[in-house]
This record gives sequence, structure tokens and C-alpha cells, in this order.
Amino acid sequence: MNETSARDEIRFIRDMIERTRKIAAGSWMFFLIWGMVAILGVAGMYVLVWQEIYTWIWPNWIFFMGIGIVFSIVYGKRFEKRSGAKSYPQIATAHLSIACGTAFMLVGFVFPVLDLYVWGLIPILISMLAGVYAFSLSGIYEWNLLKWCALIWWVGAVGMVFVHENYRALFFIPLVLMGYIMPALILRARYHKQREKNAA
Amino acid sequence: MPLDSFTRLDPVIHSRIRLAILSILASLKEAGFVYLKDTIGTTDGNLSANISKLEEIGYISVKKAFIGKKPHTSCSITKKGEKAFSDYLKTLEEVLHFKPE
Repeated sequence: MNETSARDEIRFIRDMIERTRKIAAGSWMFFLIWGMVAILGVAGMYVLVWQEIYTWIWPNWIFFMGIGIVFSIVYGKRFEKRSGAKSYPQIATAHLSIACGTAFMLVGFVFPVLDLYVWGLIPILISMLAGVYAFSLSGIYEWNLLKWCALIWWVGAVGMVFVHENYRALFFIPLVLMGYIMPALILRARYHKQREKNAA
Repeated sequence: MPLDSFTRLDPVIHSRIRLAILSILASLKEAGFVYLKDTIGTTDGNLSANISKLEEIGYISVKKAFIGKKPHTSCSITKKGEKAFSDYLKTLEEVLHFKPE
């Protein structure tokens, strides 16, 4: 064994490990679907407010969140089966998603119903939690862009404080586009690139 | 020193397919047979023989089950396998950092 062959072996090991990263990049669909769910939920809410059908605001959110949860479970199972492997980032992401999803439900539905705070606080708290979620994911995926997404969510949360509470939820649309849809599209491109590389 | 390192290199791991299997399993919790085959780019027979060898020596554990009506084989690295893989990497590093006097 000389230096050249040792270097060659290490390069080979690195290449094999790199190939397993395709699984992490394959989670782009979760970002996309939750981004779409959030945008549709906000749009639906403002349509209902505009039509003055306030009682349907909660069912509107429950409907879209339900779609997101059902999709995540079904797609998650299919994705795991199709990828044929279970990675540690995948397991950590699933745990983090369940934890943050529960926190979103408590902050967005349970606590306001229990009159713990006014509904105008919900978008601020949700943005703060979305920032925590993105920041934690940036560590799991070792992807710095998600740190910027987290910062965008937190800046958005602070920005909402200075806006009338009726318009705070509108902030979600640009925030979701930058914090969910953009990373989803980048991850999708990475996933396909990695797949082509592995096939070659 | 490089000659000494060479003799210390684990002969079980010092094979391209087995090294590939351990490298992949070291970074995953578990991987299926088809996933390993596609990722490494080898044949069923070759992969199967190398998996058996690694299992025999206790570097990986193999679980066989049925998903629906299809047989499914999944592999994961054992503590012994992790130690052997880590020692293998250390030996490679030693070779890289060796400076002849």
C-alpha cells in the first residue's frame, strides 16, 4: 500500500458515502407540499375573511393541514420503500418534523382556542417556530442555505409585529416562497443531479 | 511503515465491493439489497457473496423479511463492523501521513 493507492481508497470511500446523500436530497417533495399547503391555507383564509365567513377559518386550516399530514405519511412510507435505505438524517428529520408539527398545532389551534392569547399572535409564533425548524434542518442536512431561510422566518416574525394583525398572515406568502418553495426546488435539482451521477 | 500498514489492513475489507458495502452502511441506519446493488453497481451474485462474507465475520447483520409477497433483505453495520471500518480508515491515514526518513 503506497500513498497513491491509499488516496485512491479514501476517494472511493468518499464517493460511496456521497452516493447515500441522494436520500437526503429526495425529501424536496415534503418542502414543496408544506409550502403549497401554507400558501393555499393563507389564501383560503383571506378569501373567507373577504367573504365574511369567519366561522370557516379554522376548518379551512384543518383541511389544508390534514392534506399535508396525510401526504407526509403516505409519501414518507413510499419514499422509504422506494429508496430502499434508511439514513440518519431521514430519521432525525422525521422526529424534528413530528415535534415541530405538534408545536405548530398547539400554537396555531389549541392555545388560541383556549384563549391563551389573541389570534393576531399566531402568525408571529408560527414564523418563529418555522425558523427553528429550518435552522435545525440546516444542521441535519449540513446545508447553510437553510440557516438563511431560518433568518428570513425570524426577520419576518419581527416584521409582523409592526403590521396590523389583520394583514400579518399575508407575510407567510413571501416567507413560504423563500423558506420552503425555494429550498424544495434546489433540493429537487440536487436529487436529479445525484441520480444521474449515480447512474453514470 | 507503509509495508507494516499494508500487513495491518483488514483483508476482509480490502476488497472493492466489501469496502463499498461497509462505506455505505457506515453512513446509513440500514440499506436494502436492491439499494446496495444499484448504489455500488454490481451483480446480484457478486453482492450476495460479499454480503455473506461480511455477515459471516460479524461486520454486518442481515435481516430477511417479506414485504407483501416480495422477499426483502436489509443490511446494517454492527459495532464490530464499525470498529473494523474505523481501524481501516486509520491505517489508510497512517499511510498518507507517512514521511520516509
